[in-house]
Amino acid sequence: MNMKKLIVFSLAASLWACGEEPAQKIEVEKPKPVYVSTYKPLPSEEFVLKGATVLIGDGKQMDNASVWVKDGKIHAVGLDIQPPQGVKVIGAQGLWVTPGIIDVHSHLGVYPSPRHENNADGNEMTAPVTSEVWAEHAVWTQDHGFNLAREGGITSLMILPGSGNLIGGRGVTLKNVPSITVQGMKFPDAPHSLKMACGENPKRVYGSKGRSPMTRMGNVAGYRAAWIDAKDYMKKWDDYYEKAEKGEDVDPPKQDLKLETLAEVLRGNILIHNHCYRAEEMAIMIDIAKEFGYQISTFHHAVESYKIADLLAENNICSAMWADWWGFKHEAYDGVRENVAMVEKAKACAIVHSDSAIGIQHLNQEAAKALGAGNKRGMSLEAKDAIKWITLNPAQSMGVADRVGTLEAGKMADVVVWNQNPFSVYAKTLQVYIDGALVYDRNDPSKNAVSDFDLGLTDPEGERL
Amino acid sequence: MRFFKALLISLVVLSTSLSAAAESYLIKNATVYTSTAKGKVTNTDVLVENGKIVRVEQNIKATGDVVELDATGKFITPGLSNPSTNMGLVEIGAVSSTVDAATIEHNMGAGFNVSTAINFRSTILPQNRINGLTRAVVLPRSGDSIFAGQGSVIALHSSAKGLLNDNVAQFALYGSDGARKAGGSRAAAMQLLEQAINEAKYVRANPSRFYEGGNWQFSQSLNDLKALYPVLDRKVPLIIAADRMDDILRIVNLGKKHNIRIVIAGGGEAWLVAKELAAAKVPVIIDPINNIPEFDSLSVKFEGAGILYDAGVKVLLTGGGTHNAYLVRQSAGVAVAFGMPKTAAIEAMTINNADVFGIKNYGQIKAGMDADIVVWDGDPLELTSNPDLVLIQGEKQPLVSRATRLRDRYWDLIGNQKQGFVK
Repeated sequence: MNMKKLIVFSLAASLWACGEEPAQKIEVEKPKPVYVSTYKPLPSEEFVLKGATVLIGDGKQMDNASVWVKDGKIHAVGLDIQPPQGVKVIGAQGLWVTPGIIDVHSHLGVYPSPRHENNADGNEMTAPVTSEVWAEHAVWTQDHGFNLAREGGITSLMILPGSGNLIGGRGVTLKNVPSITVQGMKFPDAPHSLKMACGENPKRVYGSKGRSPMTRMGNVAGYRAAWIDAKDYMKKWDDYYEKAEKGEDVDPPKQDLKLETLAEVLRGNILIHNHCYRAEEMAIMIDIAKEFGYQISTFHHAVESYKIADLLAENNICSAMWADWWGFKHEAYDGVRENVAMVEKAKACAIVHSDSAIGIQHLNQEAAKALGAGNKRGMSLEAKDAIKWITLNPAQSMGVADRVGTLEAGKMADVVVWNQNPFSVYAKTLQVYIDGALVYDRNDPSKNAVSDFDLGLTDPEGERL
Repeated sequence: MRFFKALLISLVVLSTSLSAAAESYLIKNATVYTSTAKGKVTNTDVLVENGKIVRVEQNIKATGDVVELDATGKFITPGLSNPSTNMGLVEIGAVSSTVDAATIEHNMGAGFNVSTAINFRSTILPQNRINGLTRAVVLPRSGDSIFAGQGSVIALHSSAKGLLNDNVAQFALYGSDGARKAGGSRAAAMQLLEQAINEAKYVRANPSRFYEGGNWQFSQSLNDLKALYPVLDRKVPLIIAADRMDDILRIVNLGKKHNIRIVIAGGGEAWLVAKELAAAKVPVIIDPINNIPEFDSLSVKFEGAGILYDAGVKVLLTGGGTHNAYLVRQSAGVAVAFGMPKTAAIEAMTINNADVFGIKNYGQIKAGMDADIVVWDGDPLELTSNPDLVLIQGEKQPLVSRATRLRDRYWDLIGNQKQGFVK
């Protein structure tokens, strides 16, 4: 670590006033962020989408409304917007406008397509705790799936490591823009996530190698041992800072990539995203979080959230769910089509996620299935409710709801224009904007990104077929 | 002992009389997707008697003992089907004791017939039928052989009476999956397929030379070769999994050369050779929602199914895997959004399966058909729509599955301890 101690003399007026000696405060340099985002919004122009049905993303709907985008931000949304002359007005009568769709669970780039043994980069299954690995170090930005997802309205997404390990590594939040580098896609200042996994996957992976964890007991022992190490590591650093700030001549502890990530969770700077299916395992994970003093942001897959939706609401934990996947393993056997709706009913945070290069293109359809299932059982959910599951709620789960997830003034202008109600199976995106820049236009292919992968692969002399 | 025999007989009589006395239904004022040349008809009534559709007309008057249902604003389709499932061969994918879809037993390839393994009390059947699926083709998965084996067709009843036919197709692999089964090359896979066909022809032409249990030097076991006879006779189709354009063309040519009925499964790049497939009358089983490019299917796209249909190819839609085989409906919706006519998409989930797999009296809403009927509360392809009524061969299906019972148990959360006593 290249740590420098900077001595800063600060004048504390209040202390002067008390007639004491001026305090000598020593500011110790903290580790600098690494692999920082170089994301820059693409060039955009000011425009107004006029006369659309607008789903704000927070549970509100406005009919025959306008969305005004200026300087890459949502400038205003309302019924009587009168932009100055010269501002481009796009007639959107009969169309629907939503915030950009957000997927909190994707493996694009780390399990890209075409999928094969050379590019399966999502699961570092060499030890049960690999909090030292970062998904962003493996994202293949040329994955065609990013373009397909953009066509499906995805403007932000979180790329997670897989679930083979108890603690699988850091996830990264991306803006879904074409970019040669990962840094160029990184959502500026979005918190990192840490992937944890309950249940069958880690115990199968390591149990089959004859090592711990072989059981769910071993899983829990593994998490706890890791957090104990993390606390110890955090204390070493806290002690170091305390002494160094007092001016003592101490060397910083050696940086440990694995424990650094865990310590950042305990400090509240990294959000926990926990793959977990069964109700009782989620309840145990909640107690582990309490034992070591961290907050779980979101349970992923959460096939049994409907059984403990009250507990999840009470503990302020989101559930990121499929609409209807079930039965592929025993911990997914109790899946119900109403899971999302039942979590919503309990006033807990419900998210529809994909975990799939196909599903991410149709998160609107996945939400539609959840909506239809809930209503058939007697709820009265509407489009304005279901849109939250794929916009505001995932934004909150990812710690970026201050900037995306709704069409509110001041937020990034991540906007999708649909040809009809997005919860129709026949709905298609017409235009997708990210930070006000048009990044997909169904009627103008020249506006659409072509990845290296696409370039003449099937027709080397000409256009991709 | 005599008593038990008498009891058994009376039980048999009772159950026979019960099924003979299937209720009659008159469903009024529906929009009906008939899967016939009539396409979609509106304000139409459907009369069901003795498990059959008897009349499909406007203004049918109820006579006698009939359950009358008003379907104003609702939609009727034939019960849906999915031509590519492991229904009844799997309960939980990762629990091997519940999976019977494949065998790695030596000498069991084309002769592997899954019908004796189908579990009609699987929870997967109710979950699919309450969501509108009434028939399924049950295919084996490939073990070690390039031939996976023989498929069955079932109605989604909870008893063995659901087994309708036990050898409706032979299933084999080509493309990169076939290459893997053939030691690593497509060329070897093609040679294996062709060799098996030639050997089956030879054995059949010279039956006296080959007796059971002999040590014959063929590429397949004698049983496996004999299992190919129905393919040689064009009684059943040979479904071959292939996605790459040139793979598909080679399989089409294999079919022509040996005069066998080919069905392409997968078909990611089939749209590139739609004309050739139409001319050779080769149907395609395709999941239109799968647009992920693999090296076998770099040109795959949502529009593929619609392009095939437009070219005159018989399209069979699939999707949703086995647990959610009913989600073929979502895949159909995507195909329609990307150019396939809605009536064609519904035919591709109903009558086209009947045509290809020889499912008798299934797949259309017209007089004489088995009453496999779904009444939908909205557009049948919309994902917000759900069935209000499901009939299979005239029997009304309770709209209950293990999943709906779990749902109902937890619908009202009443506390950790109390919940455990809720039925």
